[in-house]
Amino acid sequence: MSKRDPHLARIACLLVPDLAVAAVVRADPDLAGRPLALTEGRGPHASVVAVSAEARARGVRPGRHSAAQARMILADLVLRPRDVAAERTATLALADVAASCTERVEIAADGAVLLDADGCRSLFGGDAGLATALAARSERVGLAARAAVAATATTARLAALHGDGCTVVPAGTELGFLAPLPLACLAPDDATAGTLARWGVRRLGDLARLPEAEVATRLGPSGAALLRAARGLDARPLLPNHTRREIEESLSLDHSIDTLEPLLFVLRGLVERAIDRLGLAGIGCVRLHLGLRLDDRSRDERTLALAAPTRDPKTLLTLLRLDVEGRPPRAAIDGLTLTVVPQAIRPTQLGLFVPAGPAPEQLATTLARLGVLCGTDRVGHPVAVDTHVPGAAALAPFVPPAPAPAPAAADCRLMVRTVRPPKPLEVFSTRDQPIYVRGHGMAGRVVGAAGPWRVTAEWWRERPCRRDYYDLELTDGGVYRCFRDLGTGRWYVDGVYD
Amino acid sequence: MASAAAILHRLGRPGAIRLGATPTGTPTRLPTRLASLDAMLDGGLPRGRVSELTGARSTGRTALACAIAAGATGAGEAIAWIDPEDALDPEAAARSGLVLERTLWVRPRTLDDATRATDLLLAAGGMALVVLDVAESPPHPHIHWTRLARAAERTRTALLVVSKRPHAGATAALMLEVTARRVRWSSGPGRLVLLDGLTCRVMVARNRLGPPGGAIVLRQACA
Repeated sequence: MSKRDPHLARIACLLVPDLAVAAVVRADPDLAGRPLALTEGRGPHASVVAVSAEARARGVRPGRHSAAQARMILADLVLRPRDVAAERTATLALADVAASCTERVEIAADGAVLLDADGCRSLFGGDAGLATALAARSERVGLAARAAVAATATTARLAALHGDGCTVVPAGTELGFLAPLPLACLAPDDATAGTLARWGVRRLGDLARLPEAEVATRLGPSGAALLRAARGLDARPLLPNHTRREIEESLSLDHSIDTLEPLLFVLRGLVERAIDRLGLAGIGCVRLHLGLRLDDRSRDERTLALAAPTRDPKTLLTLLRLDVEGRPPRAAIDGLTLTVVPQAIRPTQLGLFVPAGPAPEQLATTLARLGVLCGTDRVGHPVAVDTHVPGAAALAPFVPPAPAPAPAAADCRLMVRTVRPPKPLEVFSTRDQPIYVRGHGMAGRVVGAAGPWRVTAEWWRERPCRRDYYDLELTDGGVYRCFRDLGTGRWYVDGVYD
Repeated sequence: MASAAAILHRLGRPGAIRLGATPTGTPTRLPTRLASLDAMLDGGLPRGRVSELTGARSTGRTALACAIAAGATGAGEAIAWIDPEDALDPEAAARSGLVLERTLWVRPRTLDDATRATDLLLAAGGMALVVLDVAESPPHPHIHWTRLARAAERTRTALLVVSKRPHAGATAALMLEVTARRVRWSSGPGRLVLLDGLTCRVMVARNRLGPPGGAIVLRQACA
């Protein structure tokens, strides 16, 4: 068994520097490029907790200004409340990006995502290819993330923060890369920072050169940990904590929505972002769960099942629209959460001498659209029900099996067109034999008849099926399957031979 | 070598296909697996075209459509059965040879929805046969048959319309008319009278891909 060489370990880091701002911009792309400040609290005294690069460039600082002060500095500043749900969604979207490359993904407490690059970098042509792919896929889910690959998580994280967007720190050059970075990027506590400043330690390289035992004696365990971080060493190995599961997209609204049109506009964004994340894994959505937070502090939950996994946003939106139209929420909407249940789209193996059959993804989309058009309970493959009641039918999900060798040629068998539900008839009889029938578009004298034969089924039900069946040929040209209900004595038609 | 020759005959010689060339000529056929019908139709229903099967009630139209669908599913193809009248009996269909797992049964509530469902399925492709069963419905004036015909041609899907009177008009490349029929009852002294089946006459009323006018007699036994 080969042992993993720690010198060859590679860790990638994916992070968004201003995650809170990026999450809000991701939910509302119209805010991109505008001066934006996020606040916590209510009213003009709400404190600014995060700002966009445009607002920062024009003097607004988080933690220093209130909402009113920020608005005085910048008249066209856009103020939005901090959206924790959107931040969590953005972090999970980043984790999905990482999970599209490897299964070993760790979400750090600050929203950075670390992944094991060992096994997957060869798929992207090396470290640089992996970093570029991570950044590009982050763009696909609406996040301008920075990516870096290095030997340790600490180095990768610092390289992502201070690099040019896609940074690779070659093995053995970690100390050289970290040396010029300022000490502040490790965020030491004030006391330690003051002590190090008195020692003349300004940069990570200055700290890394100090003997570890001496630093530990003078600064304690926190100082030793700082020194190890300055040398690019990790306190612990990577701990994968992200597993692929349901995809959730959330949005809190500034103003309540009480009409369908703006709701659909908002839903479109949520669906498209969820589909982008699904697309990273190449899977489809088999069920949607829409949670609406209403103005009257109640919630409206609805679950929509699809006939087959699909990634077609138009289909999903149509499904959502039809559901909201059919069952409108009882109050205006304050916030939305869309949860998408993923499922792999069925792959097929094509054969040279067998028919290709429908492409799984195309079929899934078509089935979903048919489900929207006709109802999901009216699309599927027919199933014969195990019962004695004639004409009973059920549906099962349509998943065509792999083509099989063709059986021998079939003959032509007479079919029955079922009348669902059975229609009442007026029947004139002589000595219990029908002689004239009319009703349900049929009328005529009986010219041929067979029966009766008794069908008794489902005796355990409240209204069991107890019928006397007849096959009747009428002068109108039709041959019908009729029955007399033994419970009520009424006549019905439930099939036409054709 | 014989098998290699058979494969070349079936698939064509490599290099014989001219890249970029639009396939022309007669469409390929979807065998119905009813020997007499296949012989009359020069191999089966034309793929990528609209075919129509018309006839009065209880003439055996549904049975014939089901037999054609059974032939397709038996060959490993997937088919769709659009059934706005909710008339398909799965048990009888399975007895007549239809492979239910390869049959997509769509039950629209209206004829408009049935048309849209047909359009969706034809446009999506992958189905060898789409059966639009409107046997008891009057001709619908708002069905865009030209659109359906184009969709069928693009995806090489055979569209079979089962109806009482012609619906598709000039768009149908093939029209089969089920005209005469005789209901057969078992009889005899001391025997229970039972419906045995019926005998029908299938005539080619229109054939744009071959000579019209052929006719066969089909015996349909009770399933």
